[in-house]
Amino acid sequence: MQFGAALSMIVVGIVFLLPILWMLITSVKPEGQIMRYPPEFVPRHITAENFASVFRRFAFGRWAFNSILVAAAATLLVVPVDALAGYALARMRFPGRDALYMLILSMLMVPLQVTVIPLFIGFTEVKMLSTHWALILPTVGNVTGVFLLRQFFVTVPAELEDAGRIDGANQFQLWWFVMLPLARPVMATVTIITFMSSWNNFLWPLIAVSNDFTRTLPVGIAQFMGGTSGASGSAPTYGMPTAAAAMATAPAVVVFLAMQRWFVRGITTTGIKG
Amino acid sequence: MAENAATSTRLALRRGASSRWYGGATPWLFLAPFLAAFVLFRLGPVIGGFFISLTRWSIVGSPTWVGLANYRALLRDPLFHTSLVNTLFFVLLTVPAMVALSLGLALLVNMRLAPRIFARTSIFLPYVVMAAVVGVIWNWMLDSNFGLVNYALKLVGLGPFRWLTDFKLAMPAVAGVTIWWTVGFNMIIYLAGLQDVPRELEEAAMIDGAGPLAVLRHVTLPMLTPTTFVVLMLTTINAAQVFDQIYVMTGGGPGTSTLTLVQYLFYQAFQSFNLGYGSAIAYFVFLLLAVFGIIQLRLVHQQVTS
Repeated sequence: MQFGAALSMIVVGIVFLLPILWMLITSVKPEGQIMRYPPEFVPRHITAENFASVFRRFAFGRWAFNSILVAAAATLLVVPVDALAGYALARMRFPGRDALYMLILSMLMVPLQVTVIPLFIGFTEVKMLSTHWALILPTVGNVTGVFLLRQFFVTVPAELEDAGRIDGANQFQLWWFVMLPLARPVMATVTIITFMSSWNNFLWPLIAVSNDFTRTLPVGIAQFMGGTSGASGSAPTYGMPTAAAAMATAPAVVVFLAMQRWFVRGITTTGIKG
Repeated sequence: MAENAATSTRLALRRGASSRWYGGATPWLFLAPFLAAFVLFRLGPVIGGFFISLTRWSIVGSPTWVGLANYRALLRDPLFHTSLVNTLFFVLLTVPAMVALSLGLALLVNMRLAPRIFARTSIFLPYVVMAAVVGVIWNWMLDSNFGLVNYALKLVGLGPFRWLTDFKLAMPAVAGVTIWWTVGFNMIIYLAGLQDVPRELEEAAMIDGAGPLAVLRHVTLPMLTPTTFVVLMLTTINAAQVFDQIYVMTGGGPGTSTLTLVQYLFYQAFQSFNLGYGSAIAYFVFLLLAVFGIIQLRLVHQQVTS
C-alpha cells in the first residue's frame, strides 16, 4: 500500500514533468534530428543553433525586455497603490466606505474580456495603443491586491496604531512605519500574483500591441508558432519554437522554485481563505 | 479610573481592529491612486462596454445607436451558436475531470511519503508555464507523425490520431492539455482544504471500524465541500472564458470545431472590427458566468441543507 502510493507519486510526477522535459530535450537537438521514429530521449548531438536562430530571426531579446519591463513596472505600481487603498478601506471609517468596497469587490465577478473592447477604443482615442503604458496601466485597476491587503489590515490590532499616534505619527507615517512592515507577507503574495499575471498575460497584449518594439513574450512566441509550424502551410519545425519556449519558461520556473511557499500562499489566499 | 482604562483597553482588544471615523479628505487621499485606475481601467470599461454593445461601431467613424439589435442578431447567428455549444462542451470536458483529478492528486500527495515533494512540484510546475509555451509544447507532443503521445499509444497498439486537426478530437485534446496545465493549481487548493480536516475526526471514524474508503466518503469529502465549491467555481469561470490555449493550439479550428465564445468575440471585435457586436458577445459571457454562479450556489445550498 505504502510502496504502491509512493510509486504512483513518482509515476505521476514524471508524467506531468515529461512534456516540459521533452521541450528542453528537443530544443538542443539539431533541426534534422528532431523528427525521429522512435523518439530519441537522449540527444546524440547537442547544439545551441536553435537558440541562436531565435535571436537571429526574431526580436526575442526585445520581447523579453518588454515582458520584464511591463511586469516590473506593473508590480511596482500595484503594490503601493493597493496597500494605500487597502489601508484606507480597512482602518478608516468614512461616508460611503462600505458601498465603495462592495462596488470594488463586485468587479471580481466581471470577466476581464468585458473590458478589452472599451480599453482598446480608449487607448486608440488617446493614441497610446502599442505603448508600454497600454500594457502597464490597466493592471493597476485590478481588484485582487486591494482585497488581499484590506483583509490583512483589518486584522491588525488597533493598539499598534494608537501607540504610533501617541508617538506623534501622522496618518501617512502610521501607514508607512507601522502597517507596511507588518504587511510584508501579504505584499509578497500580491507581488507574485501581479508579476506572474502580467508575465503570462495574453489576450490584452495580443489586442493592444502590434509591433515588436512593445510586444511581450507570450504574444511573440504565439506568433512565431504561426510562422514556423503548419499554420502557414509549410511543414512544422520544432527546434526554434521549443528553444524560444524554453527560454521564456526558465525564469518563471526559477522564480517558482525559489519562492514556492509564496506561490502556494498566494493561491490559497486568493482561492479560499480570503 | 485606572480600572476603567484597563477595561476599555480590554474591550478594544476584544473588538480587534477598530477603525476610526474620518470625515475629511484623508481616506480619499489614500484611495485616490487606486480609484483613478479602477474607474479608468475597470469600472468605466465595464459600464462603457454595455453601451458599446448597443451600437454598431467599427473603429473608424462614430458609433450608431442600434438598441438591442446586436443581441437579437446574436440569437440568429449560427457561428455564435457554434461557439456557445463549443464553450459548454469545453466546460463539460474540463470541469468534472478537473475536480475529480485535483482531489485525487491532492489526496495522493497529502500522504506522508518521501516522493510527495517531487510529485507536488511536478504537478504544479505546468501552471507557471505561459499559454504560448503550452501551445509549443503540446503542438509538438500531439504531432500526428512524431509526437510522443501517438508514439506511446502506438506501443499499446492504438492510433495514430490527428489530435489537433481532427474535427472530433481537437476539443478533447485541448481540454486534456488544459487539465495538465492547471490541475496543479486546483490540487493546491484541495491540499489547503485537507489541512483543515481535523485528524482526530478521521482517526475516530477509523477506531469505530470505518475502512479508508468509508472515512474518505463519510468524513473527508463532506469536510471538503467548501473547497470543492471553490474549485468548481474557479474552473467553471475559467473554462467559460477559455481563449489563450485554444488560440495558440488550434486557432479555433479545424473548421469551427474549437471556436469558443471568447474566440468569437476576438474574431468579431478585432479581426472584423465589429466592436458593438463583439461587446454583445462579451456581455453574453458575463451573463453566462452569472447563471453558472447561481446554479452552483443553489447546488451547494441543497447539499448543505439536505
